[in-house]
Amino acid sequence: MNPSGENTAVETSGLTKRYRRATALSDCSVTVPLGRISALVGPNGAGKSTLLRLLTGLAWPTGGSALVLGGTPRQDPAFLADIGYLAQDVPLYRQLSAEDHVQAGARLNERWDGASARTRLRELGVPLDRAVGTLSGGQRAQVGLSLALAKRPRLLLLDEPVAALDPLARRHFFATLTTAMAESEEGLTVVLSSHLIADLERVCDHLILLAASRVQLCGDIDDLLAEHVVLVGPRKDTAPIERAHTVVHATTTPRQTTLVIRRGGPVIDPAYQAEDIGLEDLVLAYMGAAAPPAYAHLSTVGEEQ
Amino acid sequence: MTWLTWRQYRTSAAISAAALAAFAVLIVITGLHIAAVFHAAVGPCLAAHDCRWPADNLALDNGPVGLVVEFTLAVPAVLGMFLGAPLVAREIETGAGQFAWTQSVTRRRWLAVKVGWLLLAALAWGGVVGALVTWWSGPKNAAYLNAFDPGTFDVQGIMPAAYTLFAMALGIAAGTVIRRVLPALGVTLFGYFGIRLIFMGWIRQHYMSPVTTTVSIAANYLPSGAFWQLGQGFRGPNGLISLPNGNNIHTVGNGFPLSDVPAACLTHGPAGGTRPSPDVLSCLGSHGFVQYFTYQPADRYWPFQFIEAGIFVAMAAALIAVTFAVISRRDA
Repeated sequence: MNPSGENTAVETSGLTKRYRRATALSDCSVTVPLGRISALVGPNGAGKSTLLRLLTGLAWPTGGSALVLGGTPRQDPAFLADIGYLAQDVPLYRQLSAEDHVQAGARLNERWDGASARTRLRELGVPLDRAVGTLSGGQRAQVGLSLALAKRPRLLLLDEPVAALDPLARRHFFATLTTAMAESEEGLTVVLSSHLIADLERVCDHLILLAASRVQLCGDIDDLLAEHVVLVGPRKDTAPIERAHTVVHATTTPRQTTLVIRRGGPVIDPAYQAEDIGLEDLVLAYMGAAAPPAYAHLSTVGEEQ
Repeated sequence: MTWLTWRQYRTSAAISAAALAAFAVLIVITGLHIAAVFHAAVGPCLAAHDCRWPADNLALDNGPVGLVVEFTLAVPAVLGMFLGAPLVAREIETGAGQFAWTQSVTRRRWLAVKVGWLLLAALAWGGVVGALVTWWSGPKNAAYLNAFDPGTFDVQGIMPAAYTLFAMALGIAAGTVIRRVLPALGVTLFGYFGIRLIFMGWIRQHYMSPVTTTVSIAANYLPSGAFWQLGQGFRGPNGLISLPNGNNIHTVGNGFPLSDVPAACLTHGPAGGTRPSPDVLSCLGSHGFVQYFTYQPADRYWPFQFIEAGIFVAMAAALIAVTFAVISRRDA
C-alpha cells in the first residue's frame, strides 16, 4: 500500500456501484501496483467487470472513489488516452474490418501506433481486411488487444479477454500481452480478469480477489502464497488454530479436517500436516468462504450437523 | 470522428441518396407533365387574368405519384428511425460503443460530431424532398387553393426539413435514453406521427387568431386565395344558428335551416303548408341574419410555416440537449 500513489497505478477506496435493484460492487478498496500484471478473479457476478468499467470512466460509481494513474476517471482526452480497455466478448464494429478499426483509432487518438498493430496482426495471420464479425474468437481477441495496445496506454484493463478462446489461442493472446509489456517503453500496467487461474498464474504477479461484491484478497501472488498454508489433520477442535491464524476455509470429513489458513506465525501443532497452497486452491478457498450458505454446505460434505 | 461517422453510415448514406435520386426523377418527370396539363388548360385565362379558382374540374392528380408525395410525410420518421435511433442505442446493444468511448475522445465530442452530421443529413434530405414536392405541387396548389390543407401544408415549403430535424433528434434522444434499438424505433415512429397529428389537428389553427368575416346572407362570398376555413355559418338576431341534428333537414340558400326561418319570410302555400318565400334570402337579411366565415387568410401561409417549423426545431433542440445530458451522466 502506498498512499502517495508513486508506485500504484490504481487505488480505490470504498468504491461502490449500486443499481436500482442490485449492488454490483460494494466498498471496494484495492491497490494495483505500477508496471505489473494484476489478476482480477472472482466468481460470476462478483463485480469484476463493474470495477474495470468504473476504472475506465465508462460507468460512474455511486459511492467511494477511485484514483487511476493519479486522477479520477473522467471524460477527458488526456485521461482516456492513458487507459486501454478491452471489454468482455471483445465488442467491436462487426461490419468493419481490423484495418478500419486501426484507422478509426488513428483518428480518435493523438497517440496511436497503428503500424505495430498491423504488424502484430499480420504476424499472427489475422486478416486485416475482413469484417471483424467474420473472424474467429481468437482472432477477434487479438484484434481487440492490438487495438488496445496501439493506444500505447499506461494502464491496460482486460475484461475476460480469453474466456471464449481455446488453449492455443489463449497462449497466443498472453504471448502478445507479455511481449507488449516487455517492449513498452513508458511502462505498462495490466489488470486482467479471468476465471482461468492456471493462465493467470503463468502471466500475473499480483492478485485481486473479488467475491460477493467485495475484495477478499489483494496482494502480491508470491506473498499471498507464502502467507497461506493448507493444514490437513485429524478431525478435532479447530479453536486453537483459529486463535493463532485466520481460517479462510475449512473442509471436514468424518475422519479429517482440511484448513486453509492465513498464517499468523509458524504452525506448531504437530497433528497437522502443512502443505504449500496453489493459486487455484487459494482462490477457491476465498470464493468458498464468501459463497452463499448453500454452497458452503456443499463444500463441507460429511460434516455432522 | 467524422471519418468513423462516414465509415459507419456510408452504406445508409448511399441507399438514402439513391432513394432520393429516384424520387427526384419521378417528381421531375410527373411534375413537368402536370405543369404542361395545367398550362394547356388555364393558359388562356392566366393570360387574360380572369381565371376562376378553385378550378375543381381541372384533373391534375395522377394517382400513384400523388400518393407517393403524400407519403413523403413518412420520410422524417424513416430517417429518424433508421439513422437516428440506432446512433447510441446500437453502440450500447452491440457493445461497440465501449471501443469508441475508450479512445481519447470524450463521449460528448463523439456525440457532437455524430449528431452534427446526422442533423445536417436530416436538413439536407428534408430540404430536398420539401423543395421537390413544393415545386411539383405548384400547379395543384394554384388550381385547388389547397396549400393550407392538412397533408398538403405538411409536405411543402420548409415543413419537411423541420419535421426531419425533429424526427432525427427524437430518434437520437429515444435511442440514448432507452438504450435499445427496437423500442427506440417504436418511440420515434409513434412519437413523430403522434406529435405531428396533434399539431395538425388541434394546435396549428391557433398560431394566429383567425379572422372572422361577416357578409350578407345572400352574398356568394369566399375569402380570397388559398385561405384555411375554420368555420362557416349563420348568425341571427339571437346568436348563432346551428343546424339541427337529423336526416331530413330542409335548408334554404347556402345551408340555412328551414326551421329557423322566421314566419315573415315564409309564404303559405295553397295546400296549407308553409315554404320559403321567393325572396327568402333578402328577407332573412332584413331580419338581421348574416353569414360568417372564420378562417386563416391565405397570406398567413408562410408565417404559419415559420411558426410551426420554429416549434419543431425548438423541440429538436430540446431533445438534443437531453441527449447530451444523458450521455455524459449515465453509464455507457
